[in-house]
Amino acid sequence: MAQNTSELNVVGKSVPRIDAHEKVTGAAIYVDDMQFGPGLLFGKIVRSKVPHAIIKKLDVSKVLAYPGVKAVVTGKDTPKPFGLYLKDRTIFVTDRVRYVGDAIAGVVAISEEIAEKAADLIEVEYEELPAVFDPYESFQPDAPIIHPDLGKYEVVPFIFPQAGTNISQHFKLRKGDVEHAFDQCALILEDTFRLPQIQHVPIEPHCAVARWDIDGNVTVWAASQSPFAQRDLLAQGLDVPHGNLRVIAPYVGGGFGGKAGISIEANVVAMSRAVKGHPVKVRNTREEEFVGTNVRQSVHAHYKIGVDKDGNLLAMEAQYYFGGGASNEYGVNIVRAAGYSCTGPYDIPNVKGDSYCLYTNTQIGSAMRGFGMPEIHWGLEQMMDRMAEKLGIDKAEFRRKNCVRTGDIILTGMTMPDIDLVACIDKVAKAINWGKKEEPSAPNKKRGKGMAIMWKAPAMPPNPGSSAIVRFNEDATLNVYVSGQEIGQGTFTVMAQMAAEAVGIPYEWVRITASPVDTKYSPYEWQTVASRLTWSMGNAVRAAALDVRQKVLDVVAKYWNEDPKDLDIKNGIVVSYKSEKEQPLQKMVVYGLPNENYEGWQGGPIVGSGSFMPTYVTGLDYDTGQGARAVVHYTVGAQAVDLEVDTETGQIDIIKIASAYDVGKAINPDLVLTQIEGGAVHGMSSAFEGYVFDEKGRMVNQSLVDYKIATAMDAPKKIHGDIVETPLEDGPWGARGVGEHVMVQTAPAMANAIADAVSIRINNLPLSAEKVYMMMHKEEFEK
Amino acid sequence: MQPFDYYRPKNLEEAFEYLTMPGKTVLPLAGGTDFVPMARDVLWKCDAVVDIKGIPGLKDLKETSEGLFVGSAVRMVEISRSALVKSGWDVLAQGASVVGSDQIRNRATLGGNMCTASPCADTLAPLAALNAVVVLRSKQGERRVPFVEFFTFVRKTVLQKGELVMGVILPKTSQGTVGSYEKLSRRRGCDLSIVSVAAVAAPKNGGYEWRVALGAVAPTVMRVAEAEAILGKGRSSEEIQKAAEAAAVASKPISDIRSSEAYRRVMVRNMTKRAVESVIAKMA
Amino acid sequence: MLHEITLTVNGDPYTVAVKSHYTLLKVLREQIGLTGTKIGCENGECGACTVLMDGDPVNSCLVLAVEADGHAIQTVEGLSKDGKLHPLQQAFIDHNAIQCGFCTPGMLMVAKGLLDKNSDPNEDEVREAITGNLCRCTGYIRIVDAILDVAKKGEF
Repeated sequence: MAQNTSELNVVGKSVPRIDAHEKVTGAAIYVDDMQFGPGLLFGKIVRSKVPHAIIKKLDVSKVLAYPGVKAVVTGKDTPKPFGLYLKDRTIFVTDRVRYVGDAIAGVVAISEEIAEKAADLIEVEYEELPAVFDPYESFQPDAPIIHPDLGKYEVVPFIFPQAGTNISQHFKLRKGDVEHAFDQCALILEDTFRLPQIQHVPIEPHCAVARWDIDGNVTVWAASQSPFAQRDLLAQGLDVPHGNLRVIAPYVGGGFGGKAGISIEANVVAMSRAVKGHPVKVRNTREEEFVGTNVRQSVHAHYKIGVDKDGNLLAMEAQYYFGGGASNEYGVNIVRAAGYSCTGPYDIPNVKGDSYCLYTNTQIGSAMRGFGMPEIHWGLEQMMDRMAEKLGIDKAEFRRKNCVRTGDIILTGMTMPDIDLVACIDKVAKAINWGKKEEPSAPNKKRGKGMAIMWKAPAMPPNPGSSAIVRFNEDATLNVYVSGQEIGQGTFTVMAQMAAEAVGIPYEWVRITASPVDTKYSPYEWQTVASRLTWSMGNAVRAAALDVRQKVLDVVAKYWNEDPKDLDIKNGIVVSYKSEKEQPLQKMVVYGLPNENYEGWQGGPIVGSGSFMPTYVTGLDYDTGQGARAVVHYTVGAQAVDLEVDTETGQIDIIKIASAYDVGKAINPDLVLTQIEGGAVHGMSSAFEGYVFDEKGRMVNQSLVDYKIATAMDAPKKIHGDIVETPLEDGPWGARGVGEHVMVQTAPAMANAIADAVSIRINNLPLSAEKVYMMMHKEEFEK
Repeated sequence: MQPFDYYRPKNLEEAFEYLTMPGKTVLPLAGGTDFVPMARDVLWKCDAVVDIKGIPGLKDLKETSEGLFVGSAVRMVEISRSALVKSGWDVLAQGASVVGSDQIRNRATLGGNMCTASPCADTLAPLAALNAVVVLRSKQGERRVPFVEFFTFVRKTVLQKGELVMGVILPKTSQGTVGSYEKLSRRRGCDLSIVSVAAVAAPKNGGYEWRVALGAVAPTVMRVAEAEAILGKGRSSEEIQKAAEAAAVASKPISDIRSSEAYRRVMVRNMTKRAVESVIAKMA
Repeated sequence: MLHEITLTVNGDPYTVAVKSHYTLLKVLREQIGLTGTKIGCENGECGACTVLMDGDPVNSCLVLAVEADGHAIQTVEGLSKDGKLHPLQQAFIDHNAIQCGFCTPGMLMVAKGLLDKNSDPNEDEVREAITGNLCRCTGYIRIVDAILDVAKKGEF
């Protein structure tokens, strides 16, 4: 399907964002901006104050008696389990709380103040149970069991929970003979790395409104990356026919995975059932956002890697223990992705990988930009750096030598589709002046450079689908109906470019009709995750656009009595290469064209549709992780960081980040660069972030005062982006996704640069000036 | 946020009436930048606030016979940009310029920064190093408190119910007085101090009188007499080092979410050294 | 306690009844109907609710509505005039300084507040001015470029 890209009109051009005008004028509507009139009720979710306990008594009588309270909903009202891959949760807890923040009840009242005040009156009697917060501790045989009924939960066929343990998923990768290969190695390195839970921190907190009508129709307005997946989960969890459930999702004020799947939306729907006919709104405070919504999982990772004397990677053993939190319904698939990609972008003949998802008494681990990859690359890319250092090989050269290439049989047995990682390494090396020692800006500072490379495949079920509908207006403007969400990545713009290109009309004629997405009227889209829209939704849009194009050509061909093959649409005009006739699209795309002497008409309103679903992904063997095609494709890239460390404080200043990714084809090159820039800062910021808990499992830094994200004064002034274009076989115009990849390896690239500057190795995130200083001056603190 | 009442008195007499309403928890409201975050806690109790911004005199920033008077309702933005403040008390302008963000500095006031009494507030160490005197007023009249004695513990002051901070008096400084404020925080932008140091050197008898104050490393802002004495004798690199170490020894840091005690203590040393060196570099 | 207040918003006088504990942010969004100003943290940490109060950028989440009585407020909705975008708005579009758009209104207002006082800021001054406005998408580079570009052109 890779198309001839030599004569493109708008694909490949950096046209302005289609959503920009709305967003700079304040006109763009997000859920919290939608108007529901004075009848709107407000909800507050009451959350557990202990990490692990049986609820012995739950008394809501005082809440109900509080003036202005309309209803209280608890686990009794929502007994049915639900989940994306593993049905291990209920909307409100039934008998047991599993983290400080678990949803116990929902209070509905006539005002926010009343809901908040009344929520505080709930009386809960807990029988506290031992809790476990660390994934590696949760893996131990004597750990407290968080889901005693794990063996009874419904699960999709590619996830493997182990009853009687905290292991909700174990992915095994076995390739070659690791034991034998280690015997052949000239150098073996082994180490352990840890990462804390972190959060997406979109600037828009979660917000949802739901109305349950008396006739059984249910409408949800949500800040959502997944309106259709949410509809599916809600339909299952609340026994509502899909056709009666309507999810309406306008612009999303930042997602990063945090608005994928379900968080508060199910609670709000359940609350609205108790006050039928009235809309109920819940908007998280920032504090609730930290405590009560999804996080990136914590990880304990162990690596053993061996090379021969020439620096060729021979063998790798990896164990990943992911702290999945109280529910692993979504997290199990992150762990699977970490398992089948466990080597990172390296060609290693002998691999033994074990990736575990573990229940912990913490926030629910779920999708976050990178989906398992930042977690595994953190340690891996530092191991590779150390390996090169020990061997005395240039670190970029070591990566060039060992990185994955097109046609390699990779760890799962799949043949690597076309990519060019070496080109990415070359580009960042050039951009950062690799190998050149730079002068620090002050005598108390030391400067260093570091590099890291990455790969990531869209981690999905084998068959996630996309669809698109396109429809002409009288003036030949084209409405393109899709359900991928504009979460900032620029997908509306890219879809408009693709539609314009495929039909042959100016970009300015395209209207993306997807804000809000409305599952009642919009075509199906699995989810806005996995960096899959440009590729998957793009293929659907292209197919739909080609569909209307063909319909137009057929009508005009009949009108001219020509062969459609001789016709083309150029800049909104049908032209014949044979007769050199021209027919503008205006009017005819709705009213059709008359036969000679008006003896009848051709055509009519032109509507097209297209859909796409990958059909070639195969299952993987449970014992070995081997199969013909584990994933649809991989995107690869390289990053290099130039930074300096203040030796008197440990503070780190990033001077420059250089990035290069192989995107197949940049549909809008400047938008790719904006992803690269934003991703680099997101990656840099994430290295300093982390949930901090007290001994009772309560999050201590649940506000932006103490959970800091990078500001304009922390972010580097220089971010260089390079685009590599090795076309993807089944990508529209060869394109593949890049939205998540751009932050995957920033943290290890920084760690490698810190090592270059001040010769310390940081195994455990988060990074902090304090940690760096104390490692640099160990002797001072051992006194 | 739970409901409370709001009063905006036009003068002190009215303010004292509101502040002493019987049986009610009443708080003075200035910039609101600390108040609103506190009031959002459902368990936080406040029946009424008294907005002091309309009271004459509290927005004064003027030279008096005693020195410089800074009213408690003067905003950080005004302090940080004031030519008058910079003329003899520049270290206060430096501190005020790193409180929060532009948006915060456009609302936050000196009185608010003081009365919240967070040890990490960025104007406290500068004010301590400037020998500020706090002017308090109640129905009973005026009283004055030396700056460091205003604070009794974390978030606790000597302020009585019904009493208002009118402002601070910064005693006159000798010609050639220079000061530096050094703040260490986790992030460069808009963050709370984990260690802060204000150092001031005032020409006296042909030498310099030094004042060194520390923020965020004890329950209240503190002066380091030992360091001041060492620097009073001379400012060789050896003496600077000794003074910095004396500051570290005198500090009483704790471990919290923002930093460990051990790191804070070492940073007191390094930041003191930095502040003192910066002051020396500014000497004429 | 209910207060009747009068404030000017984007040049127009509004008289509204507000409770003591209502924030300016809440009243702008819910009573005056200007939803361009966003709720991000209600704690003065993210800047999404930034408006100009008598020309100064403030976090409208930290201002009680009753405190705004008699003051002039400018929000993102008041930036464009006569159907023409403000140069900052145009520069944000031209530089692709927008992604999810949720921080954009606050960023524009803090940038206007800066340029109104300092018409020729350098990069450090711009970064310092917007440090109270968090953006999770862009990495800030385009936003800084857009503001500097407007300052350089000098027509605002």
